Amino acid sequence: MPPIARRLAGGLAMPLGSVVLAFVIGAVIVAVTGGNPLDAYSGLLCGGLGIACSQGENPALQVSTTIVYVIPLITTGVAVALPFRAGLFNIGAEGQLLAGMMACTAIGVKFSDLPSPILLPMVLLGGMAAGAVWAGVPGILKATVGAHEVVTTIMLNYVAQWLLRYLIIGGPLQLAPGTSKSLTIGPGAWLARVLPNDNSLVIFGLPAGVFRVHTGLLLALVAAAAFAFLLWRTSLGYEIRAVGQSQRAARYAGVSVARTIIVTMLIAGAFAGLAGAIQIAGVDHNLTDIYFSDTTGFDAIAVALLGLGSAVGIVLAAILFGALHAGGSVMQADAGISGSLVFVLQALILFSIAANFIGQIRRLIPGLGRPAALPPEMPPAAPMMTEAAVPPVEP
Amino acid sequence: MTVLTDILHLLFTANLWQATLAAAVLLLLPALGGVVSERSGVVNIAMEGMMLTGAFFGVVADLAWHNVWAATGVAILAGGMMASIHAVVSIQFRADQIVSGIAINIFAGGLTVFLVNRIYGLQDVGHLGQSDLLPNLNIPGLEQIPFFGKVLFQQNVVVYAALVLLFLTHIVLFRTRLGLRIRAVGEHPQAADTAGINVFMLRYGAVITSGLFSGLAGAFLAIGISNTFVPGMTDGRGYIALAAMIFGKWTPFGAFIACLIFGLGEAIYANNSIIHVSPYLLSMLPYLLTLIVLAGLVGRSTPPAADGLPYVPGSE
Repeated sequence: MPPIARRLAGGLAMPLGSVVLAFVIGAVIVAVTGGNPLDAYSGLLCGGLGIACSQGENPALQVSTTIVYVIPLITTGVAVALPFRAGLFNIGAEGQLLAGMMACTAIGVKFSDLPSPILLPMVLLGGMAAGAVWAGVPGILKATVGAHEVVTTIMLNYVAQWLLRYLIIGGPLQLAPGTSKSLTIGPGAWLARVLPNDNSLVIFGLPAGVFRVHTGLLLALVAAAAFAFLLWRTSLGYEIRAVGQSQRAARYAGVSVARTIIVTMLIAGAFAGLAGAIQIAGVDHNLTDIYFSDTTGFDAIAVALLGLGSAVGIVLAAILFGALHAGGSVMQADAGISGSLVFVLQALILFSIAANFIGQIRRLIPGLGRPAALPPEMPPAAPMMTEAAVPPVEP
Repeated sequence: MTVLTDILHLLFTANLWQATLAAAVLLLLPALGGVVSERSGVVNIAMEGMMLTGAFFGVVADLAWHNVWAATGVAILAGGMMASIHAVVSIQFRADQIVSGIAINIFAGGLTVFLVNRIYGLQDVGHLGQSDLLPNLNIPGLEQIPFFGKVLFQQNVVVYAALVLLFLTHIVLFRTRLGLRIRAVGEHPQAADTAGINVFMLRYGAVITSGLFSGLAGAFLAIGISNTFVPGMTDGRGYIALAAMIFGKWTPFGAFIACLIFGLGEAIYANNSIIHVSPYLLSMLPYLLTLIVLAGLVGRSTPPAADGLPYVPGSE
């Protein structure tokens, strides 16, 4: 194999292997509990990608549904991946996303008469600002008193969740007493759909209005590109990576670690807040109780890890998890297997990546060749050797 | 003014403190588990998932056998099983303990709903009869003491068990050789290993203990307080327990005081008819209080030195 192909294969082995391993274990769980794994997975495939549908589902509609799931996953995935590079673990993407949703809705309701060229930027920027505040507090606490960002972001997730409940149940944004949804944002704050929202038009055999895929997709892709540009083409990106590699070394190199931590969290929160604002502006147009049990910000952790922290990887991982979530409901309807199997699969993928099961398996099976990464037991001198000089690791 | 006098009246009723203690215990059990696990150096944000697993399997066993004690045992073991996954992944495979904890919580949430669907189809899980619930136990004689009798000695059996576990955990952690070893492993595993202490074994034990405690809390929630299983019924209590552990500076009694504060807030709200603040705003308080503690406004809260670091034998 040429070196580039080998490196690519080595890099992809961990994420792909983890996904395959999770699906195998998931199949065992389905089979043990008396279900048919093939039915389950063909339901997932149909619901996620519109392939091999048995009950006459419309493939185009399934793809559209998947993309609607993928959009916030890309943007929140970036919100988790960027702090990872600075050595920070942002578990708070969920709270930051909700903060973005709430700000977007509040602005969109309050200024509902404004025209789109003014109101749409306002709600998106407002969502980003709210997300940045929600992530900035943990950033400041981490940089000043050393409070662990994992704990503070968890706490703020719950603050956001309860604030959401308050706002739409008895709070100022409630639509009417007895409802658990908010007022609708002004039409000027709506993101355009990709296909016209017009049910008299028939596209792919269905009224065009059912395809909810919206132009937030472009914003999400821009966010992923901006993440890559920021990380690899700007001095701030260099500082973020330096802090992530070694805070002490970064300090000696003249990087302000505290400032970098705060700025990183602010930007990450802005990405997650943007995801929330896009979701409201593009899909719902109001806050509803479906977001009480939202998990996008946690799915984003799996997206960032599986995507290995790269922009392309994040987009691919977001497509996988978006397809799984969209596929879950079809699997439940067609195969009678609870859609929550998707969460089981997601957890298995996380376990597998975190524990590097694939690396362990590769080391145990000699036929698979040398492991891509040096095993942790290698002495510290090893990385200084050239690749050829590293002795093959014997299992 | 009426609000203040009303609360003042409330504070002198035994009912309020009885409810406070019960609510506190539900948080105390996973918090104690967290203390033990993190004192040994393994970060544990998975109490939520372990509690949920315990609640689910407790209800399943109780519905099948109509034996609440056996069901409680099943719940405790189920929590322990979940914890042992966290232990294997984070101790043996040296995985990131936070990722593993998140995975446990997602896994527990997904698996319980998946199994509800497999076992009970689309129907409800079903409700438990009164005789299948963990009983209240009035301690003869002591329950007659005015005020304190009602608060301390007319409680659910799990409340007594949790208070015993509170003292036991404190004594074991700070008054025994085992506790010294657990803390040594959490502060400086290399030194502990050099001294001949089995780091891996102690960490396994500590993490699994956290699962057993959380499983008991799940049983208390599902077959003590509620009488059924509802998906996601722990509703963030495992995370409030995590907050209580930090609030209490990684000590059993500190965590207990935090749990009492959180429990008191819950009980005041449930027992008063005057305060009309949204319950949702009040629900934020434990999390905001913990943030304030973490911000260093009420003294520093510092975790064990090796908390979260996988132990690699022979490493510096």
